[in-house]
Amino acid sequence: MLLEKRMVERVIALALDKGADFAEVYAERRVSTALSLEDGKLEKSSSGLDLGASVRAIKDRSTSFVSTDSLEEEPLLEAARLAGEGAADGGGRAHALGGGEVIARHFIRVPPASVAAAAKVELLTAADGAARAVGTEIIQATIGYNDTCSEVMVANSDGCFVTEERTRVRLVARVVAVREGLMQTGYDSVGAHKGMELFREQDPSAVGETAAKKALTMLDSRPAPSGKMAVVMHRGFGGVLFHEACGHGLEADAVEKGASVFADKIGERVASELVTLVDDGSIVGEWGSNAIDDEGVPTGRNVLIEAGILRGYMYDRLRARNAGVESTGNGRRQSFRHPPIPRMTNTFILDGASSVPEVFASTDSGFYAKTLSGGQVDPATGDFVFGVSEGYMIEAGRVTYPLRGATLIGNGPAVLKNVDMVADDFEMNIGVCGKDGQGVPAGSGQPTLRILDLTVGGTEV
Amino acid sequence: MLDIANKVLEYASGREVEQAEAYVSRSRSTSIRVYRREVDELLSNSGSGVGIRVISGGSAGYAYTSDLSDEGLARAAAEAIDNAAVTAPDEFTGLPSPATEFAGLDLYNDKLQQTPVGEKIELARSVEAAALDYDRRVAQVEQAAYSESQAEVAIANTLGFARSYRETSCYAFTMAIALQDGEMQTGVSFTTGREPGQLDGRACGREAAAKAVSLLGASQCESMTCPVVMDPFVTAGLIGVIGSALTGESVQKQRSLFAGLESRQVAGTGFSLVDDGIHPEGLASAPFDGEGVPTQQTPLIKNGVLQGFLYDTYSGRKDGCASTGNGIRGSYSAIPHVGPNNLRVQGGEGSRDDIIASVEKGFFVSEVSGIHSGANAVSGDFSVGAAGHLIESGKLTVPVREVTIAGDILSMLKAIETVGDDCRWIPFGGSIHAPTVLVGKMTVSGR
Repeated sequence: MLLEKRMVERVIALALDKGADFAEVYAERRVSTALSLEDGKLEKSSSGLDLGASVRAIKDRSTSFVSTDSLEEEPLLEAARLAGEGAADGGGRAHALGGGEVIARHFIRVPPASVAAAAKVELLTAADGAARAVGTEIIQATIGYNDTCSEVMVANSDGCFVTEERTRVRLVARVVAVREGLMQTGYDSVGAHKGMELFREQDPSAVGETAAKKALTMLDSRPAPSGKMAVVMHRGFGGVLFHEACGHGLEADAVEKGASVFADKIGERVASELVTLVDDGSIVGEWGSNAIDDEGVPTGRNVLIEAGILRGYMYDRLRARNAGVESTGNGRRQSFRHPPIPRMTNTFILDGASSVPEVFASTDSGFYAKTLSGGQVDPATGDFVFGVSEGYMIEAGRVTYPLRGATLIGNGPAVLKNVDMVADDFEMNIGVCGKDGQGVPAGSGQPTLRILDLTVGGTEV
Repeated sequence: MLDIANKVLEYASGREVEQAEAYVSRSRSTSIRVYRREVDELLSNSGSGVGIRVISGGSAGYAYTSDLSDEGLARAAAEAIDNAAVTAPDEFTGLPSPATEFAGLDLYNDKLQQTPVGEKIELARSVEAAALDYDRRVAQVEQAAYSESQAEVAIANTLGFARSYRETSCYAFTMAIALQDGEMQTGVSFTTGREPGQLDGRACGREAAAKAVSLLGASQCESMTCPVVMDPFVTAGLIGVIGSALTGESVQKQRSLFAGLESRQVAGTGFSLVDDGIHPEGLASAPFDGEGVPTQQTPLIKNGVLQGFLYDTYSGRKDGCASTGNGIRGSYSAIPHVGPNNLRVQGGEGSRDDIIASVEKGFFVSEVSGIHSGANAVSGDFSVGAAGHLIESGKLTVPVREVTIAGDILSMLKAIETVGDDCRWIPFGGSIHAPTVLVGKMTVSGR
């Protein structure tokens, strides 16, 4: 236990003392390792410890939050006093705390701390070697590895008192290829809520090789076209399209302020009937999974859009309370220094009935977005963009040549309605989602699918 | 704080360590968010930590901790030494020799702390009110926030460097939502300073509201190639992207689009760019960088000609030159890297209106999105989401959204025809001082 039960009780009692109607303590101890290899040699090796806690007091809709980088009683009581003053006159009462259960759903077979640094270095060396073996055009490979092991504890005035240990490992490769003055890049990564066993399941050299092949392919690319066309989204990280196009608009903080195009639309048709969108933070081992969210609520499978009909939003405790519903287990925070907000976990589109060859064969002319480099959305308007780092032309039902420098731009609600084919080759991918200055691990996924009339922003008119 | 740093140096010595460095920071920040005049959220963070670098056997190792107890510091120092054992030895690795001359900068303002919280809440309220009062179509303000921080940084190393400085900064930010016939548009703005009295809340609210309202009724335009006028926000986005390619490190590692172009024309003749680490208004200004090297003004592009690159101690030694004071340490937990301090475009002649008036048919871009995913500082590919207005006969006409602007970065820089006189500080994606610019030709993708 990061904090002793009696002490937590005193902190919560003090936070409620001035009249808040809800109080919470969140404590965290996080150990991280980071390695980076570039120019063929291990350049940077770092490790560190972050520990601290925050106290949050809520009165009606007003939140007061104070963090301290200590787990000692005195600074925590001071944080509770300050937070309590910021949220006065509510009259909340503390319920008896639970037993302080350790919620364990992830069994870590090979904890990163049990593995020698030299063995971790081998993962990077393998990825680097595989990248450079792809071709003489590969002039640079930057391989990054990191692991984090954190213990989080959440306790609140409703009696919640739970702990979870979380372990994540990730390996990323960025590769540069050059030919005749044209420089192109390739990127790939693997990561999971797992220990080092991930690298028994997934070959680290494949990460370097995949990134290098992407860079090499892009050396043969032509500048991307401009204008509206049919877009086939490759499985996996293509799911980031839905993360941006509608995921953020289904987070309850935007919804409750009416600052989402999806506000007040539950039960309405918002997408093609081929689209079923799910957020599920409970899938064991997935990058965006935890057993509990950062407010102590068990994560779960939440169907957001079912066959085109809007079914629900993603809630944290505060927004759920405001709306008179239960939290969906989507209250997440970057660290003890950040307040929880509604966030996606692993968000994905379910398989459809088409086959992948059918999707291409029925596309007379269009754009094939195979790898994406991330995106951005304005939830209020639904307008989103995302960069395509590996794209191809589709002509007469066949993938012909690679294209570079394209961004896809569209409007979430419009794009959801324009999904006209969904294949059956579902895959997940990993990323870090940023919102309100907080980054959290998020997974996204989808099968290969087709969107009609999406704007491709290239350089060729 | 220097005591803590010196303690770390003691723990890091005694074993096979040639050099050691301790970077200690302590900060206290507050942010206030107002919604419909009520305080929606009041956040207060305080934290401190130490980042350690040791050179052992010719290799560098790093560690950090937020646990400043003696045991915590000793453990982190030992970890840094262990970490050095796995990195490759490198003849250029090493700490900078201590400098003695530093720019006198006034980065700390007492008024930040003296101003009562109530006044800061009022400031956030005034931002919200100004946005709502601007136009009846401003339906609500999704965010009106005030945020401040005070920080102290101390660095000590075994070569005898031991100095610290403190700074304050604050900003107000808002996002306004305009509504008309069921259509929503948003606009953002901010104002920055070293203490709340320097913030113009009213102007902030009005600008966000004006942006949102001006985009009402916007739609896609046809795809075309045309002159593009960039608002300072947009110029800053572009400058932020090239900043990472203007470092000696990215050239050495063969991932800079500027490699081999020194003394060559890389931008329009009216375009000059300086990294200014000592500008009094720059929020990234400091007397020394994350390695204790004095910051300075480093010319990067002058009249369109590439002058040189930014260096930290390591990349400088590799190229046989001195650090330019660009060893960036974002926080005690971050590994130092090379990066810009304040990037400052030299203001040109002509106002924004003059520049727009000079364009017969073109696109005025007031907002861009997806810069981090759509701009590649290695390949130079650039394609980002854009919103703004068409320019017809020198005047802003139809509002436009859901389009992209694209080109390759070097061609875009070379196509900069006019640089405006309206430079302002933009704190997104770095600390950048940027004006309105006219790029002669870009591809706009829409219908």
